[in-house]
Amino acid sequence: MSANHNPKQNTFLIDLTKCTGCRGCQVACKQWNQLEAEETEFFSGEGYQNPPAMSEYTFTRIKFRDYQKNGENEFAFYKEMCMHCDDPACASVCPVGAFEKTPEGPVIYKADRCIGCRFCMVACPFGVPKYEWSKGLPLVRKCTGCYSRVKEGLKPACATACPTAIEYGPRDEMVKIAKERLANHPDKYIKKIYGLHEAGGTSVLYLTNLPFDELGFKDVTQRPLPDYTWQALRFVPASFLAVGGTLSALSWINHRRERLMNQNATSEQAHTPAEEKEE
Amino acid sequence: MTATQRVVKEVKAYHWFIKFMIFLVALGAAAAVTRFIFGLGATTNLDDTYPWGLWVSFDVVTAVPLAAGAFTLGAITHCFHIKKLEPLVRPAIVTGFLGYSLVCVGLLLDLGQPHKGWHVLRYWNLHSPMFEVSMCVMAYTTVLFLEFLSPVAEKFGWNIPLRILRWLEMPLVILAASISTLHQSSLGTFFLIAVDKLHNLWYNPLLPLLFYVSAICTGMCIIIVEATATHKWMGQPNEGPLLRTLAKILPWTLSLYIGLRIYSLVVLSERPLFDNGILTILFYTEFILGFVLPCCMFMFKDVRNSDTLRVTAALLVVCGLILNRFNVSMFGMMDASHVYYPSLIESLVTIGIITAHILFFVLIAKYFPIFEHHPETVDYSIPDSFGKINPDKPKGASQSEAVTSIS
Repeated sequence: MSANHNPKQNTFLIDLTKCTGCRGCQVACKQWNQLEAEETEFFSGEGYQNPPAMSEYTFTRIKFRDYQKNGENEFAFYKEMCMHCDDPACASVCPVGAFEKTPEGPVIYKADRCIGCRFCMVACPFGVPKYEWSKGLPLVRKCTGCYSRVKEGLKPACATACPTAIEYGPRDEMVKIAKERLANHPDKYIKKIYGLHEAGGTSVLYLTNLPFDELGFKDVTQRPLPDYTWQALRFVPASFLAVGGTLSALSWINHRRERLMNQNATSEQAHTPAEEKEE
Repeated sequence: MTATQRVVKEVKAYHWFIKFMIFLVALGAAAAVTRFIFGLGATTNLDDTYPWGLWVSFDVVTAVPLAAGAFTLGAITHCFHIKKLEPLVRPAIVTGFLGYSLVCVGLLLDLGQPHKGWHVLRYWNLHSPMFEVSMCVMAYTTVLFLEFLSPVAEKFGWNIPLRILRWLEMPLVILAASISTLHQSSLGTFFLIAVDKLHNLWYNPLLPLLFYVSAICTGMCIIIVEATATHKWMGQPNEGPLLRTLAKILPWTLSLYIGLRIYSLVVLSERPLFDNGILTILFYTEFILGFVLPCCMFMFKDVRNSDTLRVTAALLVVCGLILNRFNVSMFGMMDASHVYYPSLIESLVTIGIITAHILFFVLIAKYFPIFEHHPETVDYSIPDSFGKINPDKPKGASQSEAVTSIS
């Protein structure tokens, strides 16, 4: 599976130093995608964040983290959402191809194809696809990258609602802006763009002033995940032919040998079955 | 009415253990129905962190290699031409056919949208190991069904289908082995995508090959276990001499597996390996008790010749494989802060599926000629009348010679 590095695909640039934690993105996402509210409790998860995790009803969420800076308590935020990988693991493992990386950028899900095997959930390195556990015949739910809006030239709901932190545009431009910010304010940022190489590159890029692992970012491989399975799967046709061919040849030889032995035996009128000698 | 009465009378005459098994299967079926009424969330302990549980780990990932006896023995008997093993082939095919049918049942229960399962045939994704396994399981279940038709055709005296099946036998055996190679290994490919999730003790790029080789070993061990059990509890003749032959092959395949496993651990795996106490214990249990010990046991002639020791070693391999598949698909991916364990409904369904396997095997053995298989004594040539074969007619000299020599 070749990496899908389209420099013009739309990409989120999320600058967590500019995030105020207003959760306008969370609300806009619920509104645009018509997602039900969840009944939650304060402090039900790791900290102030609410709901405690992304779910079938919550495609994006702001995680809160409190830390000390110059002796004062400060908050750091992390917007959790689908990373819209250039080479998505979910799309590669789905037996019916229900996921697709669109040229516009978003990784979309075709519910009409899905058989509900949940392999995408096992495969996703970011733990994004969620399941409709409450239903008898459940489907997978995840951030759509607001494909319906992006197709019509609009920005995604969360990027539209965000007053400060989210830029949205072609990937090459977003990478350029991110690099400029890192170069202009080396004191303000950790020198890393998360998503530039993670999982082979994603359509969501993050900048932050706190170490990424402290915010709960996963340390994922830089190699596109579909490569890991493809390096084994590419041998499938060859191994099918090799095993089939070897066994066919082997059977032909063995059966021919026996046929010849039987012919000899009958011509000599001797009655000694070959197989008894073997033991 | 009379037919129903006859069935009731027949069932009433069964051994109490068969009745108990029917009860367990019914319980499992009832549990499966509740899954569709109340949903996966309410009936299972699965959640977004552990989307795959007991049903995938046992009913699919473990049950498939446990049903590997059919293709392994088919290839050994027919391709490597160790003809004396023929009496073991039919029970193995019945076991395989039942195993795969029940894998399909387990898979359909686990799917969120079972009514759309056929989509795999319509929307191909060649990059998906799941696509490959689904296609292979469907194809192989069909092959096993055709192989299983032989005793059925014999029972009802369908001579023409029987002729066709005899003619198809070799192609089917080779097809079975080729298809099995693909999906037994692809079950390992499933977990290659779980980079950074599956523990280093099990994650390595050789996983598909290890799955394949261990499936072959287990296939042979299952046959040893099965033949010993049918001898002990179903009054079948002791196939000891034949099982000795199988036990002679096992040290080779097991050594191959052990060699590959050590190579994958030492050379190919990421470090650290032994950073988690529980996983380390699970690994040693699986590897030493499940593979190294039985491999050493099978090397001794005394073990191979003793019915008890032989079946003990075979059982160790079977348990080792089960533990290995659970380690890969469940324990190795678990996080100590959030542990998955199967719910009552999940357990009842899986117990039902295992019991159904044994129950159907016993019932099939009761009504179809799967043990009394002596192909050399049967004339498969098409009679002139297209009816029953005349038992007085002498065996067809040249025509049936070619057919029977295959078996």
